[in-house]
Amino acid sequence: MLSRVAASFYWLSRYIERSDGILRMLKINYNSSQDSTEGFTWAPVIRVFSGLDEELEAKLGNDSRTILRYMVTDKSNQNSILNIITFARENARSVQEHIPKDLWQCLNEYYHTVKDPKLDIRLQREDPITVLDVIIKQVMLYYGTAEITMERGQGRSFMNIGKYLERAIQSIDILDIKYKPTNTNPTLLTDITYWKHLLLSIGGYELYLKTYRDGLEAQNVIEQIILNNDFPRSVIYSVNNIQRYFDRLKNNSNVNDYREISFQIGKLQSNIKYSSVKSITNQGLHQFLTLIKDDLYKIGNSLNEYYFANS
Amino acid sequence: MYQSQHFDKYNLINGVWDEMYNQNSIVRDHYQKVIEYLANESPDDLNKKEELAKRLFMTQGITFTVYNSGEGIEKIFPFDIIPRIITAAEWAFVEKGIKQRLTALNLFLKDIYHNQFIIKDGIVPIDIIYSCPHFLREMYQLDVPYDVYVHIAGIDLIRDHDGTFYVLEDNLRTPSGVSYMLENREITKRLFPDLLPNCNVRSVTEYPSILYKNLLSLSPRQISNPTIVLLSPGIYNSAYFEHTTLARLMGVELVEGRDLVVNNHKVYMKTTTGLQQIDVIYRRVDDEFLDPLVFNPNSVLGVAGLMGAYRKGNVAIVNAIGNGVADDKATYIYVPDMIKYYLNEEPILKNVPTHRLSDPDEREHVFKNINTMVVKKTNGSGGYGMLMGHASTEEEIEDYKAEILKAPRDFIAQPTISLSAAPCYIGGVLQPRRIDLRPYALCGPDGIEIVPGGLTRVALTEGSLVVNSSQGGGSKDTWVLS
Repeated sequence: MLSRVAASFYWLSRYIERSDGILRMLKINYNSSQDSTEGFTWAPVIRVFSGLDEELEAKLGNDSRTILRYMVTDKSNQNSILNIITFARENARSVQEHIPKDLWQCLNEYYHTVKDPKLDIRLQREDPITVLDVIIKQVMLYYGTAEITMERGQGRSFMNIGKYLERAIQSIDILDIKYKPTNTNPTLLTDITYWKHLLLSIGGYELYLKTYRDGLEAQNVIEQIILNNDFPRSVIYSVNNIQRYFDRLKNNSNVNDYREISFQIGKLQSNIKYSSVKSITNQGLHQFLTLIKDDLYKIGNSLNEYYFANS
Repeated sequence: MYQSQHFDKYNLINGVWDEMYNQNSIVRDHYQKVIEYLANESPDDLNKKEELAKRLFMTQGITFTVYNSGEGIEKIFPFDIIPRIITAAEWAFVEKGIKQRLTALNLFLKDIYHNQFIIKDGIVPIDIIYSCPHFLREMYQLDVPYDVYVHIAGIDLIRDHDGTFYVLEDNLRTPSGVSYMLENREITKRLFPDLLPNCNVRSVTEYPSILYKNLLSLSPRQISNPTIVLLSPGIYNSAYFEHTTLARLMGVELVEGRDLVVNNHKVYMKTTTGLQQIDVIYRRVDDEFLDPLVFNPNSVLGVAGLMGAYRKGNVAIVNAIGNGVADDKATYIYVPDMIKYYLNEEPILKNVPTHRLSDPDEREHVFKNINTMVVKKTNGSGGYGMLMGHASTEEEIEDYKAEILKAPRDFIAQPTISLSAAPCYIGGVLQPRRIDLRPYALCGPDGIEIVPGGLTRVALTEGSLVVNSSQGGGSKDTWVLS
């Protein structure tokens, strides 16, 4: 497979996964914003997906519709859904003859749905959840079509590596930013709505209720998001899948490159696997998460160097 | 006239060949079945078909992007749902004519880059050749496989008021539009179920497999599975959709310049498992950008060292480099002479009478009669930089004349040819619009093959004679009957 094509698969998938994460988070946060005016703030969302720009935060304020429009249809926001799907589509376009026609059409429809000027108007006037659901459905169609039609080859491996790498980074960012204020405000550690929000944002609330019977607690939330093998958005689940799909790239012609990255992934995987909530909090959650994130970035860079010929 | 609401406003254009009606306003036989079919459809049905066609083009991403103030606007190439129909006899004539012309043009290219007999014998003036910017000394004495220079030709044909076919221009470099020939047919299948088989329309689907077979035969390495690639300038190119379609239909890799590297006069592509040698390049990048070491040094669309590998014979390039000297509009004038010189035959397809503006007498003649002339740049394309004498203001003409006098070699003039008209579904009724025809000829070691069909371009603006997509043109599915 051409290196450039592999890179496009990887980035296509990272962008789609990012759009999925953002959309789900917007939906839950919007819902919460209708629940309680008190204590709810959009700040974490904006921080995760738009960098730590305080000026921007002040400008956007806390008005839900302003923020939704900024996150979905605003061209000036690098991480708006409109921009992300445009990037995803540009990547798909450059590998059009490698992806099934169905999948290309699916992406195309996703793009045209978001690009449609009517969507922005609907976001201002109609129920935002209905509008977000329309877009989320496009992402789900994409994943379903990819699952059914993608040939089981290198291309799909690069796609899945990109997907899980993006997902791991997202979960880390969300946990990190949500946890940060507890340093100055320890009462948050036991604030039930605060953690419920976090879990709902990444779709882990139901699993949490089934796993932990003793109410919401920061420690358990950390455990679920980092260490739970059954939670599809946990860091360990994502890293395991990176390892799984990377393994399939093994062949005789690039043994050394393969070994180099395989080592990096294996080391990261063990590091997480042999951690406990206790060891993590002793080390400091922020520090632990930063190290894991650095390792993930390094894996991304190595792929770039050894497989995408972009060194 | 046919009695149906669709045809109420179909006003024949005076002095123009109509593809559907004969001079007595009776529907020609080969349009009969389609017209009957249409008469049974309500305007509502036809509007729905038009909508469906648009939607199919859009969701399949059959679009080109126009970049305006930094923002890409996605557009579809306008498609008219009514097919253009060519009879078996007309096609046989066209096919024979194109084969003859292309044979002569291939011989011309070989001659001009080797012994130049045609210049020595005084058939083509030397200044025409040496003043052409597409005549490349880098090609001199270079032998190409099977002496084929033009592997793919898109020769544009038009029909005058009496239905006679004329060659408007020979596109011998990287003619585009063939994906629209293929896609238009796919769309027509969806729009008019059963109509294609009922009318005995010949299939065009073989095009990619013939092209692939020809590319395969050019491989310099005698191996069972040579690597064939399609070289594209990338996703920002307006023909990118065509590049991916052809790559997909032939099952070959689509590459960009940055995927390639030349080492020891061999071309490789960078893959996830190391470098892989390339044998045949079907390039959709112009000569000028192919190799920064030899041509435009700022180009990143090609790869450094490609020309060296080509000269060594380690890679085949399709179409050959330097073909521009043969489809230059100044060379065009001499194609009928080439046919007589190389083949000792009378040209089957006619040239449009053409005046060289570097000749003072001809220039004066053209300036005097400019209202009945079309003036074109010899190296222009896409309908840019043309002067339509009959539709221009006094001022435009004066400005253009000044341009011509600066570099007369760069211009030619032709009398305005009327272009035939075909019915188009516009604004809920059928109306006549002007069309041309571009069949795609493929030349391989076994000779020339032409898929029965082509691209019919149509000037959708009323009264317009310019069919180029950049100037408000669209296209139609083109049927050749068996």
